[in-house]
Amino acid sequence: MSVLTIIKISWRNIWRNKLRSSVVILSVVFGILGGIIMIAMAYGLNEERMNNAVETYLSHLQIHNKSFAEDFNLKHSIKNLERIEDELKNDKRVISYSKRIILNGMLSNSNGSYGIQVKGVDPDQEREVTNTFSKVISGDYFKSDRDNTILVGKKLAERLNLNLKSKVVITFQDENYELTSLLYRVEGIFKSGNSRYDEVNVFVKNSSIQNNLNEFSGFHEIPILLSDIELRKEVKTKLSELDSDNLVETWDDISKDLAYANEMLGAVLYIFMVIILVGLSFGIVNTMLMAILERKKEIGMLMSIGMNKYKIFLMISLETIFLSLIALPFGLFLSFYIVEYYSVVGIDLSVVSAGLENFGVGTRLYFKVPDEQYFVVALMVFIIALISSVFPSLRALKINPVEATKSI
Amino acid sequence: MIEVYNLSKIYNPGEFEVKAVNNISTNFNSGEFTAVVGPSGSGKTTFLNCVGGLDSPTSGEVIISGENISKLSGHKIIQYRLKNIGFVFQAYNLIPVLSAKENIEMIMLLQGKDEKTRKNRTDELLNQVGLYDMRNRRPSELSGGQQQRVAVARALASKPQFVLADEPTANLDSSSTSNLLDIMNKLNQSEGITFIFSTHDQRVIERARRVVTLEDGIIVNDKE
Repeated sequence: MSVLTIIKISWRNIWRNKLRSSVVILSVVFGILGGIIMIAMAYGLNEERMNNAVETYLSHLQIHNKSFAEDFNLKHSIKNLERIEDELKNDKRVISYSKRIILNGMLSNSNGSYGIQVKGVDPDQEREVTNTFSKVISGDYFKSDRDNTILVGKKLAERLNLNLKSKVVITFQDENYELTSLLYRVEGIFKSGNSRYDEVNVFVKNSSIQNNLNEFSGFHEIPILLSDIELRKEVKTKLSELDSDNLVETWDDISKDLAYANEMLGAVLYIFMVIILVGLSFGIVNTMLMAILERKKEIGMLMSIGMNKYKIFLMISLETIFLSLIALPFGLFLSFYIVEYYSVVGIDLSVVSAGLENFGVGTRLYFKVPDEQYFVVALMVFIIALISSVFPSLRALKINPVEATKSI
Repeated sequence: MIEVYNLSKIYNPGEFEVKAVNNISTNFNSGEFTAVVGPSGSGKTTFLNCVGGLDSPTSGEVIISGENISKLSGHKIIQYRLKNIGFVFQAYNLIPVLSAKENIEMIMLLQGKDEKTRKNRTDELLNQVGLYDMRNRRPSELSGGQQQRVAVARALASKPQFVLADEPTANLDSSSTSNLLDIMNKLNQSEGITFIFSTHDQRVIERARRVVTLEDGIIVNDKE
């Protein structure tokens, strides 16, 4: 008996009880759908968080003075700035860059003080690198002609009860480690989607710092945007060669937790997918065991007339595998369609906005599933189907033809 | 020729043992049309199961054409059954997802026969049992009598040395029984295949050329 004949018998066997087979197939379809939606949400959240971080404050690359990373003193400005700027201007992979003065200090008003990082920026340059200008929810993004205006995050504004035009004092150590204070007036309040970021970061014009610190010149941070995030490693290598006193870092060097989450996500999602599929496999095995019980006589007859154990095993295994494999394309197609739809439209999660902001993402979640994940899921379903097929097939082999047929 | 020597089959050996077949010795010659009869529990089915190599005897030997099948095990006995023995079951036991033609052909597929041989043999048998026009029907589309005729054709498809049938007419009405017996008798004579069947049915017993009567696992009567 050829394998083709066994395939034909197995195929027809699964359609004997259409309702039961359909229920099993549907359960696998929805299992695949559930698993892929879970993957899509997790990847979507992670990508949103990553993009948010890259667009709001990380950029693709950053350059600092090596010493600045250890001692956030003003004096550790970036070396060889002109050469770096020349390189950045001439490199076609670089879309834009900005120059920042970074101060770590305290922001105070009559309601209290809070530890913050001040980013002294050129407003026009900064627009090209980060999206902070688009996150201003109240007031303006440096429209005022005055130098001493400040943008604060919504969370910080709430904490210190700040409003537009509120006065605040920033206190920090200058290059001689002397305490220095600067007075600012709130021009805008931004909400980046990451409440922790909004709580500890403020923006001022870099001229406001330069004009008040006569002995200081230079910049501490150059955030760089590239045409493609994947180019970051090669551009980093090139920029690193310019001055050994500077430290060039990619976004994943700077934000290890984000990079680690990105790497770990795949592995964690596989584990969840396996759990879902193993759960489904119990349903498949149960269905097949019921089918074997019902067909005990028939299988006994096949054994009686001379169908050997290998063929019986193959026949039952194929039935089990078919049940899963029929579901696979439907599950993948349905998942693909839903993921594609919500990757454009997104899902409104404003009911849990507070939690999402703490996580560093906005309230609209866009699904995302890397293409290779569909292949991995398909492979998982196939492997689980193979494993599921073993137990019913072994059970069928235990049938005693004499008992099964009751008579010869 | 089938030679049976001191065949015994004992269930639950020990305290509650049941001697289903008790030290039976007999022979079946080629071309016989034999009925094994007896009341329920007399050991007919167990006897045929042992003769057909479906069940292994507790003691004794079954020698078919010089080969002791009681000593065969595993793959060898399966292959032996496939090549030499045809089975007809009381409940037909056709494969519901295959047509009449495919059910008959299946045993030849198991034997590895080529397509032309399979087709010729299937058509020949379908004509002999009078179901050629219904060859593409599935078992659920056939009557009980028609299904049993397909089962007989299937049993003969592999050109076995002999056919064992357990109560083949038990589920059939008078007309179907008579029709089936005519077919079996005709095939017995045209193909020279030995038929051994267990039965309660007096109509079947009357058509048999030899009747072996069992009681409590012992042959109490054996007449031509």
